[in-house]
Amino acid sequence: MTLASDSRRPALIVETPAPRNGPAAPRRRTRLTRNRWGYAYVAPFFLVFAAFSLYPFLYTAWVSLHQVNLSNLDGGTWVGLDNYTKLLHSQFFWNAARNTLTIGILSTVPQLCMALGLAHLLNYELRGRTFLRVVMLMPYATSIAAATLVFAQLFGRDYGLINSLLEVVGLPRIDWEGGTWTSQLAISAIVTWRWTGYNALIYLAAMQSIPGELYEAAEIDGASRWKQFLHVTIPSLRPTILFTVVVSTIGAVQLFGEPLLFGGRGTTTGGTSGQYQTLGLLMYQQGWSNFHIGQAAATAWAMFLIIVLIVGINALVGRLRSRNDR
Amino acid sequence: MATVTFDQATRIYPRAERPAVDALDLAIADGEFLVLVGPSGCGKSTSLRMLAGLEEVDAGAVRIGERDVTDAPPKDRDIAMVFQNYALYPHMTVGENMGFALKLAGVRKSEIATRVTEAAKILDLSDYLERRPKALSGGQRQRVAMGRAIVRSPQVFLMDEPLSNLDAKLRVQTRTQIAALVQRLGTTTVYVTHDQVEAMTMGDRVAVLKDGVLQQCDTPGALYDRPANVFVAGFIGSPAMNLVTGDAVDGGVRVGSAVLPVPRDQLDRAAAGNGRVTVGFRPESMHQVGPGEGIPVLVTVVEQLGSDAYLYTKLAGEGADDVLHPSDVVVRTDPRTAATAGQQLWLGVREGALHVFDASTSQRVD
Repeated sequence: MTLASDSRRPALIVETPAPRNGPAAPRRRTRLTRNRWGYAYVAPFFLVFAAFSLYPFLYTAWVSLHQVNLSNLDGGTWVGLDNYTKLLHSQFFWNAARNTLTIGILSTVPQLCMALGLAHLLNYELRGRTFLRVVMLMPYATSIAAATLVFAQLFGRDYGLINSLLEVVGLPRIDWEGGTWTSQLAISAIVTWRWTGYNALIYLAAMQSIPGELYEAAEIDGASRWKQFLHVTIPSLRPTILFTVVVSTIGAVQLFGEPLLFGGRGTTTGGTSGQYQTLGLLMYQQGWSNFHIGQAAATAWAMFLIIVLIVGINALVGRLRSRNDR
Repeated sequence: MATVTFDQATRIYPRAERPAVDALDLAIADGEFLVLVGPSGCGKSTSLRMLAGLEEVDAGAVRIGERDVTDAPPKDRDIAMVFQNYALYPHMTVGENMGFALKLAGVRKSEIATRVTEAAKILDLSDYLERRPKALSGGQRQRVAMGRAIVRSPQVFLMDEPLSNLDAKLRVQTRTQIAALVQRLGTTTVYVTHDQVEAMTMGDRVAVLKDGVLQQCDTPGALYDRPANVFVAGFIGSPAMNLVTGDAVDGGVRVGSAVLPVPRDQLDRAAAGNGRVTVGFRPESMHQVGPGEGIPVLVTVVEQLGSDAYLYTKLAGEGADDVLHPSDVVVRTDPRTAATAGQQLWLGVREGALHVFDASTSQRVD
C-alpha cells in the first residue's frame, strides 16, 4: 500500500480478508447494530400487519373452536372441531361452496379471456389509446354498490332493460334473480364487467415488454395475427396469466358484495332458495343473522383453506411448467 | 433462388423531413451476396425491411424474381431474415425455433425433423436441439437464427447486422462462416451492416448509402480503388483515406505548403466548381521523402500494430493544438519505424494513387 490513497476505500479493496479465526462475536453484534435501523423502518408495517391481519387471523381460528354468540364474545365454550364437522355436514355450506365455484368459473374464465383479447387489441397502434385505457379501468373505479344496483335494474324481471330487449326480439322474459343459473350468470356478468379492464391493463403492461422483433420474425415465418397471438403473445404472458388467475381466484372465493346487493334488498340468504348464496354470504349470515360467531369463524377458515389449496395447486403447476422449460 | 430489384423504392416516415430511403435503385443478381453499408440512419435497415415487407414502400417498387412484391405481406415473399438480436422464440426449443416456419406452412412432421437435423448438423447445433435459447451462448443463438433461416430454403436471405451482438473475435470467425455457408447454399443474400470491414470482406458487391441515398454500388475492390465521391472515399477503408481540400494552382493542388501534382485537364475539370479541389490518398500510398521535397508534416501519434505502424500527422504550420482533430494525414509505414511524436517528416504520394474530387460537388473526377 505504497500508493497512499486519499480515501480508505481503495485500501479496503486491496486488503486481504481478515483471518477467519478472529473474534466473530463482536462482528455479529456490529451487524445487528447496523441493521437496527432497518428493523425500525420495517416495523410499522409489521405492527399494523400483526394488529389487523395476524391477530384477527389467529383469533378467528381460536373462535372457530368455540361456541360463541355475538352477545358473549369472550365467554364461549370449547367445542373442539365441532363447528367444522357441522359445517361439513351442512347442506348450506355445500350449496354455498357449489355456488361460489360456479360463479367463480362463470366470472373468472370469460373475464380473463376477454381481458387478454382486449389487451391484444389495445396493444395495436390505435387512435385515442390512452383514452380507451382509462375507460377500461373505469368499472374498477366504480363502487360495487353503485354498479350492482345498476345491474340489478338491468336484470330486473318486470322493468329490466334486458328483459325488455328480449321481448323486442320475441323471446320470453327471464326471471333472472329467481333462477339458479340465471342469477349466477347475472352476478358473474357484474364481476366480469368490473374486473375485465383491470386484468386487461395488467396483460397490456406485460405485452408491451415483448420485443417487437419476435412478432416480425413470426410474421416472416408466416404466422397470421392469430398464430402470433397464440405462439408469441400467450407463451410470453404465461407468468402474468398465472398471477391474474391466482388473484381472480382469491377474489372469486371471497365474493360478497355483488350477491349481497343483487337481490336489491341486501339480504344474506342469496335468493329465496339460496340459489346464489356464496361462502362469503353464508359466513355473514351465520355470524350476523344467526349470531353463531364460532360457526362463522369456521366458515372463514374453510374459505381460507380453499384459497390456500387453489393457490398451492397453481404454484405447483407453475413450478412444474417452468421446470419443464429449463 | 431469385434476383432482387429495388426500382425507385422510397420510404417516407410520417412527419419526417426527408425520405428514410430515397428512390433506391438496385439490381441484385441471382445468388449474389450484396451488402448494404452506411453510417447509422442512412436507410440501410429500412431498405432491408422494405424488402422483407416489414416496412411500407411509399413509392417505387420492389421485385423478387419477376414478381412484384411491393404490397405483398412478408409471408408471401419467400424470404428468411436474421435479426440483429436474433428474435428467437424464448419458449421454444432450438429445434422448434428452426422448424416453426415449416410447421406453420403445414410441412409434414418427419420432413420438418429431417430438415432441422440437417441444418443443425451444418451449423454444429445437433447437441442443442432440445435446449431453449436462454441456455445458449451468444454465438450459438446467432447460429440458431441462421438455422431458422436456412431450413426454409428461401429465395432470399435477409440479414440485419447479424454479427453486431457478438464479441470482436467471434465476429471475425462467424463472418467467414456465414460467407462460406451462403456461398455453399448459393442463395441470394442481402446483408446490412455499419461495419465497412464486414462489408468489404463478405460482399460480392457493396452498396454504400448515406441519408437514404445510394452513393455507389460496386465490388469491394472497385469501391476501394475508385470511390465515386468524397463520402465513399472516406467511409471505405480503415484507417480512412486522407482527404484534404486545397486551392487549384498551376500544376496541382496546394496542400499545406506543398503542391500535389495533378494532370492539367483533370485539375481543370475538378476545379470547375469553385476553384477548390479535394484530393484523397490512402495511408498505404504514402512514403517518406527527403527533407524539403513533399508535404511537410508533424507527427502527433505513432500507432504500432505489429504488422504495420500508422503515423498520425498534422500538416506543418497548420493551426494550433487541437485534441479532437489531432491529425490531417495518416501514413502507413514500416512496423519498426523510427518516427516519434513531434518529429517533422516530408511525405510523398505514390504516383497514380491520388484520388481527385470536385470540392463543390464532392464527385470524383478522373
